[in-house]
Amino acid sequence: MKILVCIKQVPDLESRFKANSAGVWFDETDLAWRMNEYDEYAVEQAVKLREQLGEGSELVVLSIGPDRVVEAMKKALAMGCDRGVHVQDSAAAVKDPAQIAATVVAYARDQHFDVIFTGMQSQDRGSAQVGVLVAAGLDIACATTLVGFSYSDGTITAKRELEGGLKGIVKLKTPALVTCQLGLNVPRYPTLPNIMKAKKKDIAALPIESLLSTPPLAATVSFHPPAKKGGGIVLEGEVGILVDQLLGILKEKTAVLR
Amino acid sequence: MEATREIYWNVGHGVVWGMYLLAAIAFAFCAYGLWQRVLIWRQGRALVRHDQFSARLLTALRTIFSQSGVLRVTPVGIFHALFFWGFALLFIGTLLIMLQADFTAPLFDIVFLKGTFYQGFSLVLDLAGLTALLMLSGLTIRRFVVRPQGLPTIANDSINHLLLFTILLTGFLVEGLRIAATELVANPALSYYSPVGRVVALLFAGTPSATLLSLHKGLWWFHLLISLAFIALIPFGKLLHIFTTSANAFFVDRGEKGSLTLINLEDESLEEFGAGKVTDLTWKDLFDADACTTCLRCQDRCPAYNTDKPLSPMKVVQQIGEIAASDPQADLCAVVTSDVLWACTTCRACQEICPANIEHVNKILEMRRKLALMDGEFPGDEVRSSIANLEVNGNPFGLAYAGRGDWAEGLPVVQLGSGVEFDILYFVGCYASFDQRNRQIARAFVKICAAAGIRVGILGKEEKCCGEPARKLGNEYLYQMMAQENIELVKGYGVKQIVTTCPHCFNTLGRDYRDLGLDLPVEHYTTFVAGLLKDGKIRLTPEAFDFSYHDSCYIGRYQDIYKEPRAILAAAGGQITEMAKSGVESFCCGAGGGRIVAEEKIGRRINVERVQMASATGAPLLISNCPFCLTMFEDGIKTGGVEEVLQVRDLAEIVASRLVS
Repeated sequence: MKILVCIKQVPDLESRFKANSAGVWFDETDLAWRMNEYDEYAVEQAVKLREQLGEGSELVVLSIGPDRVVEAMKKALAMGCDRGVHVQDSAAAVKDPAQIAATVVAYARDQHFDVIFTGMQSQDRGSAQVGVLVAAGLDIACATTLVGFSYSDGTITAKRELEGGLKGIVKLKTPALVTCQLGLNVPRYPTLPNIMKAKKKDIAALPIESLLSTPPLAATVSFHPPAKKGGGIVLEGEVGILVDQLLGILKEKTAVLR
Repeated sequence: MEATREIYWNVGHGVVWGMYLLAAIAFAFCAYGLWQRVLIWRQGRALVRHDQFSARLLTALRTIFSQSGVLRVTPVGIFHALFFWGFALLFIGTLLIMLQADFTAPLFDIVFLKGTFYQGFSLVLDLAGLTALLMLSGLTIRRFVVRPQGLPTIANDSINHLLLFTILLTGFLVEGLRIAATELVANPALSYYSPVGRVVALLFAGTPSATLLSLHKGLWWFHLLISLAFIALIPFGKLLHIFTTSANAFFVDRGEKGSLTLINLEDESLEEFGAGKVTDLTWKDLFDADACTTCLRCQDRCPAYNTDKPLSPMKVVQQIGEIAASDPQADLCAVVTSDVLWACTTCRACQEICPANIEHVNKILEMRRKLALMDGEFPGDEVRSSIANLEVNGNPFGLAYAGRGDWAEGLPVVQLGSGVEFDILYFVGCYASFDQRNRQIARAFVKICAAAGIRVGILGKEEKCCGEPARKLGNEYLYQMMAQENIELVKGYGVKQIVTTCPHCFNTLGRDYRDLGLDLPVEHYTTFVAGLLKDGKIRLTPEAFDFSYHDSCYIGRYQDIYKEPRAILAAAGGQITEMAKSGVESFCCGAGGGRIVAEEKIGRRINVERVQMASATGAPLLISNCPFCLTMFEDGIKTGGVEEVLQVRDLAEIVASRLVS
């Protein structure tokens, strides 16, 4: 049985974001990178399935992006993926979800994966489209926002998170794709022996051009922080003067004293 | 009449053969028992502890004969020391008799146990025996009547006490019977040199001589047999500590305090990390278990144990010994349990007080390495996040690494790499970089340096956590990754001296980084500021204040810096009231060993315990020297309900506020 897990490397959300000079995405200076949180759940679940199936199964991790994404892939390999596929694309960040999905589809079409895992969405772009578009492109079953997963005899039983705290259970025949949500599992911390082993695992590099030839369906027009709304006023100085100032402001700018 | 006595009086010199045969059996028995222990110790990994042989020997002899280790705790230490000295003298006396009776006299006709020397010999041994007897009584009363809380007493203790009493009492009886039959009759003046023996002899005054002789003969043999039994039994119970604890004074760790073995991450043949079985520990770790006398001193001082956590350093050491002897392949961490292992703050109070030179902390850390590196285990999810934060942003808070130097905005510091000259690299550390409260320490330190005309350089956003919390949580891999990045950076900038405000950074950069190739002078600001004061580079305006001072573990016990901070605070006008637990006995704030990023879920809060000790001094101000301590105390003051009576400040803040400009 063949399993694929698709991961994205994203900037840590605590980083300081600035729009890049083109004004269509963020500048990468001073950003710290990590594996997309939802993809970590995907990797963990994929590794669990791989462990359940044991010998004869294979788990491939795929990521699209510049060379730095190999770091995230190494973590996935240390967590238990068997080998990696790095689709080299220094401009992955500005590709739209349709293009990313098309790339994955192009790679996966002939590989006959039985189960594909992706995160529910990426933490930076947050489109939540890639997983479902890949399923559509491959014409396989799909379930999103998984908080529970089990597999037996070619059938996936998936617990989905619905709106308003509801949960739904769906059964899918493989081949199928699932997107993973917070709560599905606790991603393991790679053990040192596995980190060592991961260093020797194969990561195949494929140029993006070999997989993608379609233009974006939705182009980013502008990327900017929200406009600042009027900030607060800080008054400093002697208490007596402060009181007068405050009274003045309250009279002039508010209706509380009228 | 010359002062001497006939050796083998009444029993006859013919007993020598039988006596030596029995002794040989006893020693053979003892050797066999020891060999059984050697086999257990040899299950451990190799470790060199016989280098610097003469220095080790000297230390060992000094430690053993001065009894300096046990004497650190009184009065029980005095009992042990006096008993030891008494018993040692009796042993030496016995050897002297052996030397004369069986060697110098028959072979060379030399008799030295005579005249004034014999009188002194007799008196000293008599008093030594009396001392040993009295001290043994004291120890017996303590163990079996007073029963200090938590002191484990086993059947073996009763046997040993009984054995020792019997040896000492029969010794005096044999002596008394001999004196009653000889000196009292023929040379009463000499009997005064055996005061205890004389008293015993007087009890037998009037007893028919034949009775005395047969009683003496019987007891002589009994005394011999029981003494030999003592020797034979040494390896089979707590008496073993006579050998092992003494030997541990030789095998003592002569490295710098807190040194941990460096795992070679380049070695691809390694598949197991940390101690998952006793056989993953070193022979010294297993030997330590046999050197432990369960004296309770470590447990008494353990901040985790004293706040109702399941850790007892003594119990951990004992468990290692039990597993090594019974089931060496057992899952060590499962027996000791994760809760126990994660509870340790690595405060080193156990190790500093241990009279047997046992190394508790590294055993725990080796087991933590197993949990972290082999099982990917954490003390809690909050620690899992902190470790992930360290990996991504180089600080446990998960804050943007790019903001690491923000605290210095507007301050006279040099960003390394900017080309501007600097005198020292201030390695700021995560807390002083990011935590609002602790940024005050960084600012205060820069202010002090500016006053002294010292140009301070910082690494800013390029600095990463020194890796100490990760390492102490067992994650050697993450530690080495971060350490190597910091070291490369520091080396690249041509730094000549590093100063830290964090004791954890200080120990890590100054000691641990040396194993990874950083060889630069590293100083903590307490000694650095003391130097500035001494050299007249800064002056302080003394302003009277009352305070108590908290010795952080990594400045106190790990670095033995106790005087300088107190001297600085005195120069600032401070009047110190020491807490009940201070100096080498200081009680941890609870944040060491990576616990700073862990929630304290079991038992009472260590930081609350400590701030209550501080408020008990009556001084309104608690002064610390560590960002971790400051964080713990700010929190402890709030949760411990002492907000009205206690404030905490860092030493740097005090100095900065009293600078003469």
